[in-house]
Amino acid sequence: MTISQILFIVMSLVVLGGGVMVVAARNLFHAALFLILSFFGVTGLYLLLDASFFAAAQFLVYIGAISILVIFAVMLTRGAMAAQPANSQWPAALVVSAILFAIIAVIVGPIAVTIGERQFGDVSWPSVVEGQPVPAVPDDILVRLGQSFVDFNQYAALFLLAAVLILVAMVGAIWVARDRTPREVIEERAELAEESQDMAPPQHQLPVKNAEAVEAPTAGH
Amino acid sequence: MSVIDTINNLIKIVGDAVADLVVGILGAGQIADLVIMGLGALVLCTAVALTFMGMTWAERKVVARIQNRVGPNQAGPFGLLQPIADGIKMFTKEDTTPASADRWVYNAAPLIIATFALLTFSVLPFAPGVVGANINIGVFFVIAVGSASTVAILMAGWGSNNKYSLLGAFRTVAQLVGYEVPMLLNVIPVIVLSGSMSLVDIVQRQTLADGNPGIPFIVYLPLSALAFFIAGVAETGRSPFDLLEAESEIVAGFHVEYSGMKFALFMLGEYVNTLAVSIVFVILFLGGYAGPILPSYIWLLIKTALVFFVFMWLRGTLPRVRVDQLMALNWKVMVPLSVVNIIAVLILAKVFVTSPGLQSANGGILVAPEAQALILFVANIVILLSGLSIMARRARVLRLAEEAQIESRRAANRATASNFIGGAPAK
Repeated sequence: MTISQILFIVMSLVVLGGGVMVVAARNLFHAALFLILSFFGVTGLYLLLDASFFAAAQFLVYIGAISILVIFAVMLTRGAMAAQPANSQWPAALVVSAILFAIIAVIVGPIAVTIGERQFGDVSWPSVVEGQPVPAVPDDILVRLGQSFVDFNQYAALFLLAAVLILVAMVGAIWVARDRTPREVIEERAELAEESQDMAPPQHQLPVKNAEAVEAPTAGH
Repeated sequence: MSVIDTINNLIKIVGDAVADLVVGILGAGQIADLVIMGLGALVLCTAVALTFMGMTWAERKVVARIQNRVGPNQAGPFGLLQPIADGIKMFTKEDTTPASADRWVYNAAPLIIATFALLTFSVLPFAPGVVGANINIGVFFVIAVGSASTVAILMAGWGSNNKYSLLGAFRTVAQLVGYEVPMLLNVIPVIVLSGSMSLVDIVQRQTLADGNPGIPFIVYLPLSALAFFIAGVAETGRSPFDLLEAESEIVAGFHVEYSGMKFALFMLGEYVNTLAVSIVFVILFLGGYAGPILPSYIWLLIKTALVFFVFMWLRGTLPRVRVDQLMALNWKVMVPLSVVNIIAVLILAKVFVTSPGLQSANGGILVAPEAQALILFVANIVILLSGLSIMARRARVLRLAEEAQIESRRAANRATASNFIGGAPAK
């Protein structure tokens, strides 16, 4: 057994064990941390495949950003520390995940399945022949990746779409966090008050009394 | 090989000798490779930890001088043994754990932060041929690994089960995740100019063919260098961006419940991250280890010490920024300027090329490297100044509007008050 095989087994165990603990952990925060552990295992698998760019991207995006979002969502959840996160939806979740697993297994697996006219599965993965060296990853793989992103015959449209999405998100974040002028603040409060008037029963309309008190001096004059 | 060459390549020669020794004992193979890599990692981590000790001493001395104090001067000559005294104190302190802490999370956080801080050093080139792993995504790897400290700090803040810790952790996330964006954005111009993400290639691009230093990228990209440095200060959570451990507001932030060696690991993480950012800044913008006369590793040391001195200088002189100022600086100043800068650099680097090969492949105007540097320098400065002037005008308009509003409110108040003269109804 070579060292890379041992590493592969270790990393696979990290991925699967982390995944199992995500659903098994009693504490939601711990579940989020096990999710990060699972992501970390995937990073290791990418490294074993010599896909260092994807490994770094996985680390930066999933461990550095998405997991933080997940943890924040967990912390904002009411009763995150409650010991019983399981609920009655687990049979439905089980069915959905089993179906998903079956679909993926058919698409990437060795068994040929014919549905209607089309045949799925029976993928011939490139495999290592005993005694022959593993083909090396070409040096210019990053250059090729970059070129495929700007090549109109490959992924240029998707790349531009993603770029526009990110730009819109950035502009939107700045717009949401902008300084309001006093007029905007008043308008927003009025809108909120209207909404709450529509929603709330009449006995909650306390501000009326205060409004009379404020207007009293000018009315009395 | 002459004496000078031997001194210049000292680290590489010693390393090769040790590697030969290991191969001689174990025979060539995977196990020997593993042992050699393990030894390299051990030496690297030890060297970084020793540097950490030196950095704490230097920082205390320099900040003391800035603030007109003496600093540590009792333990050894010039207080040089102070870090060792600190270490002994840390070891002998009681290792407390809060009763309601989330034990696993609480204990794992300092280990994670120290591990990933040290991991950064595996790809940094210290001298020609002296690099843990010359991977083709070097810069990206450094930034990706640096982002792991966010998770560790969040774990520390949550695991301590203390409101100040959690507040510190929340601030950290807002700050570190936010400042990763300008950090990455300002690495992109360097990648464009050097045509590679490998740190070794980036250093070579700033070195002439004869090994002497060429034009460093700080001359090409002053705006990127400035923004990268500010983002680096924020990423390491140092003053003036030390909101995550603001003593006067949230005691000590995320590490308020830690004591003894666990606290020391947090300090190690902070200083090692600072060292890593300093070295990455030197590699990206100051030409890395290239320099005349002196050996290359000495040059790296000198340049890193200079950058770290600026870090200490900021800590000694600047007050802490407010949270809203921190966010405004990031999203309203640094990110837009960086995006404009990237577009300008992309266009200019495409139009003005320095190598005939690129010209024949993509077209463009062939210019000398000095001319390209001058063009990019002027473009950077123009973007910086015009951006700042737009923002200054906008700030002035906002301020005038606010003043006008206050003035009109005052006038209204005066009018109401004069109505009451002689017979105002009692409230």
